[in-house]
Amino acid sequence: MTPPAIDMSSTTTTTSTEDKPKNVGFRIGLGDITPNNLGQLKRLNTVLFPVVYAPGFYKDVLEVGEFAKIIYFNDVCVGAVCCRKEPVAGSNNEQNLYIATLGVLAPYRRLGLGSEMLKHILEQAKLSLTAAGQAKVAKVYLHVQSNNEEALEFYKKHGFENVEKCENYYSQFEVSDAYKLEKVIN
Amino acid sequence: MRDLPSKEANLFREILKCYELKQYKRGFKGADQILKKFPEHGETLAMKGLFYNHLDKKDLAYEFVKKGIRHDMKSHICWHVFGLLYRSDKNYEEAAKCYAHALKYDKENIQILRDLSLLQMQMRNLEGYVDTRHILLELRPQNRQYWVAVAIGYQLLGKPELGVKVLTTYEETLKEVPSTPDYEHSEMLLYHNTLLEEAGDLQAALDHLDTIEKQVCDRKALKEKRAKFFLGLGRLSEAEAAYRGLLAVNPDNMAYFEGLRNSLGLGGDRPTDEDEVKILDMFKQLQKEYPRSNAAKRLPLRYATGEAFVKVADEYIRSMLRKGVPSLFVNIKTLYSDSAKETAVEKLALGYLASLDKSKGFDHSGAVVEPPTALLWTLYFLAQHYDFKRETEQALGYINRAIEHTPTLVELYMAKGRILKHAGDHVAAMGALNEARELDLQDRFINTKCTKYMLRADNMAEAEKTAVLFTRADIPNPLNDLVDMQTQWFSLEAGESNLRQNQVGRALKRFHQVDKHFNDYTEDQFDFHTYCLRKMTLRAYVSMVRLEDQLRNHPYYVRAAQNAVQCYVRLFDKPDGSESEEMEGMTEAEKKKFRSKQRKAELKAQQEAEDKKKKAAVAAAETAKKAGTPAAAVKVDEDPEGTKYTKCEDPLGEALKFLQPLQQLASDRVETHLMAFEIYVRKNKLLLALKALLKSIKIDANHATLHEQLVRFALAVQKASSAKTLKPSVKAVIDQHWSELYDAHGQDLSAFNVAFVNKNKDLGSVPHVISAAMSTYLINPSKNLGQAELLLFSVAEKGDKYKRTRTLENVLLVQKTLKGFKSSRQQEWKAKGNEWFPNAVAFQ
Repeated sequence: MTPPAIDMSSTTTTTSTEDKPKNVGFRIGLGDITPNNLGQLKRLNTVLFPVVYAPGFYKDVLEVGEFAKIIYFNDVCVGAVCCRKEPVAGSNNEQNLYIATLGVLAPYRRLGLGSEMLKHILEQAKLSLTAAGQAKVAKVYLHVQSNNEEALEFYKKHGFENVEKCENYYSQFEVSDAYKLEKVIN
Repeated sequence: MRDLPSKEANLFREILKCYELKQYKRGFKGADQILKKFPEHGETLAMKGLFYNHLDKKDLAYEFVKKGIRHDMKSHICWHVFGLLYRSDKNYEEAAKCYAHALKYDKENIQILRDLSLLQMQMRNLEGYVDTRHILLELRPQNRQYWVAVAIGYQLLGKPELGVKVLTTYEETLKEVPSTPDYEHSEMLLYHNTLLEEAGDLQAALDHLDTIEKQVCDRKALKEKRAKFFLGLGRLSEAEAAYRGLLAVNPDNMAYFEGLRNSLGLGGDRPTDEDEVKILDMFKQLQKEYPRSNAAKRLPLRYATGEAFVKVADEYIRSMLRKGVPSLFVNIKTLYSDSAKETAVEKLALGYLASLDKSKGFDHSGAVVEPPTALLWTLYFLAQHYDFKRETEQALGYINRAIEHTPTLVELYMAKGRILKHAGDHVAAMGALNEARELDLQDRFINTKCTKYMLRADNMAEAEKTAVLFTRADIPNPLNDLVDMQTQWFSLEAGESNLRQNQVGRALKRFHQVDKHFNDYTEDQFDFHTYCLRKMTLRAYVSMVRLEDQLRNHPYYVRAAQNAVQCYVRLFDKPDGSESEEMEGMTEAEKKKFRSKQRKAELKAQQEAEDKKKKAAVAAAETAKKAGTPAAAVKVDEDPEGTKYTKCEDPLGEALKFLQPLQQLASDRVETHLMAFEIYVRKNKLLLALKALLKSIKIDANHATLHEQLVRFALAVQKASSAKTLKPSVKAVIDQHWSELYDAHGQDLSAFNVAFVNKNKDLGSVPHVISAAMSTYLINPSKNLGQAELLLFSVAEKGDKYKRTRTLENVLLVQKTLKGFKSSRQQEWKAKGNEWFPNAVAFQ
C-alpha cells in the first residue's frame, strides 16, 4: 500500500559550503502537522506519491506526535514524513515504527532535507527507549520499490538493512516488487 | 433640592449619590420611599424617571421626568435630568436646550456647565464651547483642566495664538514646576508648543522647546519637533544634525530620511541629475551606517533614474528574491508610475528567470548557486508583474509554473485568484482562493480574502459560512459578530453583491449599516471630551477631533454612499423593481415566464428564510438559556429583505442623506457632484442640478460622464419649457449660465456633441466614447441609434488607440450601454469582448 520513499542525499548542510560555485545559505526547520496545515500535507502527498491516501491516514497522522513532521525550506513547506506505530506481537511495552511516507518536492532534493527528517524520526525512536510511560520502539521499517536505487542507498546510508523481498507488493505498479528495509533501535 | 424635611432631604442626597455610583436599583427604591410621603415632589419624580431610563423603561422615564418638571418648573435639577435623558438618547440639541434652561435657575452649577460644554463640543458649537469654558475657568481658576479646555476651544476655532495666551497665563500662575518627570505636565507643555507652531511662529516654537526641554517626557516628539523647526527656519546644518540623530534612533522611519534629504538641500520630487547623484551617495553612506535598515535600501529606487536605477533595482530585487519576501511586488509596483522603471524591472526579472533556469544563479557568472526558492519567488514576481499589465496569459503561465514548482505555497494560489479576478472569471478566482485557504486554515487574512472573493462571485452562502469561521462562535448568530466588530469591508462587498443580483433592499440594508458605523464613530468621541482633558493627552485629542470632522471622507463611507445613491435612484426609476436588468430586451411572453420563475424563487427563499428564522430563534433561546440572559435580549432580524428601504416614501430624499456629508467633505471629488446631478435632475430641481454641473465643470471640465449629464440637462430643460413647467425665474438663472455649460453651441445639442467627439478624437478614452454614444442616442433615440452604435464600435478599431483604456470594466460598460439601447449588435460586441478577454465569463 505504501509507495517507495523518495531519493535523498545529504551532501549539503544548512550553511554555505566551501565548494565552488558558492551556495547561498538557507534555513530549514521541522514543523508539527496540525488540523490547520493538513491541507499542505495532502497537497504534498498528491504531488509526491502516485497513491491516494484515505481519510483515516490523515486522522492517524495527527495522533503520532513527533513521528509525523513537515519540513520547511526558507519558511516554505516542501516535504513531510509520516509514520505509523504498530504493536509488536506478544509484547506490551514494545512497538514497531513504520515509515509510511517520506518525501521532498523535486526542486528541493539533494539539499539534505530527507536526511534531516529521517534523523529526526530515528532520534525520536531512540528517545522512546528511555522515556517513561511510552511504548519503546523496537525497530523502524519501511518498503521501497525494488528499482529505486537512490532510495535504497539513502536508507542504507542511515543504517537500514534489506531484510526481505516482497514480491508483488505494489500490485498496481509496473515494477511491483519491493524491499523491506529495517533498522533495529538500541 | 427643596421643600423636604431633613430626613427626606438626606435620602434625596443619597439617591443623587446612587446615580453617580450607578446603583440604579437602590436609587430607584430611595426615590419611591420619598414619593410615598411626598408624591408630588418634582425633583424626586424626575430622578425616578432617570432611574427608569437606566432600567430600560424609556416610556416611563420620559413620563416621570416630564411629570417632575410640571411639578417644579424652576428646579435646575429637573431640567438637568431632562437634559441627561435627551443626551442618553443622542438628542443633543434638545439636551443642550434643557441644560441652558437649568442654568437659568442655577447659573454657576459646575456640573451642568460641564455637561453643556461637552454637548457643545460634540455638536462643534465651538463659540458656545469657548463661552461655557470661560465661565467654568472663572469659577475654578485653580484647576488646570479648565485652562486647557479654553485653549483647545480657541485652537479649534482657528485662533491658536489666543490658546497660547491662555496657557502662558496659566503657566505663570504656577508657583513651582514639577521637579520629577510629570507626564501630564509634559503633555501640556508639548501641546503649548504645538499651538505656537500652528500660530506660525516657528522661531518662538523653537525657543519654547529650549525652555521646556527639561520637563518633557516624550523625548522623541521633542527631537522631531526640533528637527522640523530647524528645517522650516532654513537652519539647514542644524536640521541635518537633528535628522541624523533621529535616524540613529530609528533608521527605518521614512520621514527622517525625507527630512535629512531636505536639510541637505536635495528636496523635491524630481531632482536634477546632479542632485540625483548626491542623493544616491547619501543613501549609500546611510546603508553602510545602517546595514539593517530596509528603508535605506528601498528609498534610492525612488530617486534613481536610467542606468543608476537599473543598478540599485538589480541589487534590491535580487536580495529580496533570495530572502523570499512575498510583498516584494507590492513594494515595487509603486515605481511603475514611471514607465521606464517598469520596463527596466521587467527586463531584470526576465533575466533572472533565464539565468536561474540555466545555471541556478541570478546571472550567468556561475559564481553563486541560489536556493530553489529564488526561482519560485522570481516566478511569483513575474506573474504579478504581468497581471499588473493585465497580460493574463503571461501571468497565468508564470503562476502555473510556480505552482508546479512548489504546490504548497499559499501566496501562489492567492496570486492566481487575483489574476483570474482581473481576467473576469470570478468563480475560478474564488476556487483558487479557497485552495489557498485550505492550505492554511488558521490564517485569518487568507480566510478574509477568500470570503471577499466568494462575495465577488455572488456566492453569499459560501461567503457567510467562511466568514463565520473567524467570528465569535458563542453568540446565537455568529454573522452578527461581523456587525458588532464593524466589519465594513464585509458589509460593502456583500451589499455590492446584493446589488449585482438586484436585491436592492438587502443591499441598502448593508449600506445603511456602514452609515450606522460611521454614526457610531461620531458618537464614540463623546467620552473622550472629558477623558482626554483629564489625562492631558491633548495633542492626540485634537488630532482625533479633527479626524472626526473629516470622518465621512473615508473611502468606505464614500463607497457606501455611492452605492446607496445608486440603489435609491434605481428604486425611483423602477419603483416596483418589475423591470430588472435581466428583463431588458425580453418579449412579453419571456417576461411573463421570467416573472413567474422569479416569484417561485421568491416564495422558496421566503420559506427558507422562515425556517431559518425559526431555527435561529430556537437556537437563540437555547444559547440565551445557557448564558443566563433573558430571551428578550436576543434579537431576530424581522426584515432580512430590507423592505423597509425598498418601500420608503422618498427614495431620492434618502439618497440625499447619503450624499450631503460628501458635499461637505468631499466636494473636491467630481463623483460627488455627478451623483448630486443624478438625484436633483430626477427631483426636477433644475437649479440644484445646474449647480452640480457647474461644480463638476470646475473640477474636470472634460469628464466623460459630465458630458452625458450636460446633454441630459439640456434635454430636461427643453422638456420643462415645452411643458410650460419652467418658472421664468429659474429659466433666467439657467440662461445666465448656459454658455458656461455649452460654449457657443446654444441650443444645438448635436453640434455640442460633435464638438465633444472631435475634441476627444485622439484621446483614446473608452469612457469618453461611451458618453458621446449615449448622448448621441439620447438626442434622438429613434434616429441616432445606428450612429451611436458606430461610435461604440469604434473602440474595437485596429491599432493601439484604445488599447490602454479597453479594460475589462470599460468593455463591459460598452456592453451595458448597447443593452440599454436594445441594440441588435450586442452579440457582435460580446464576440469582440471574448476575443480580448477569453477568460471573462461575461463574454462567454
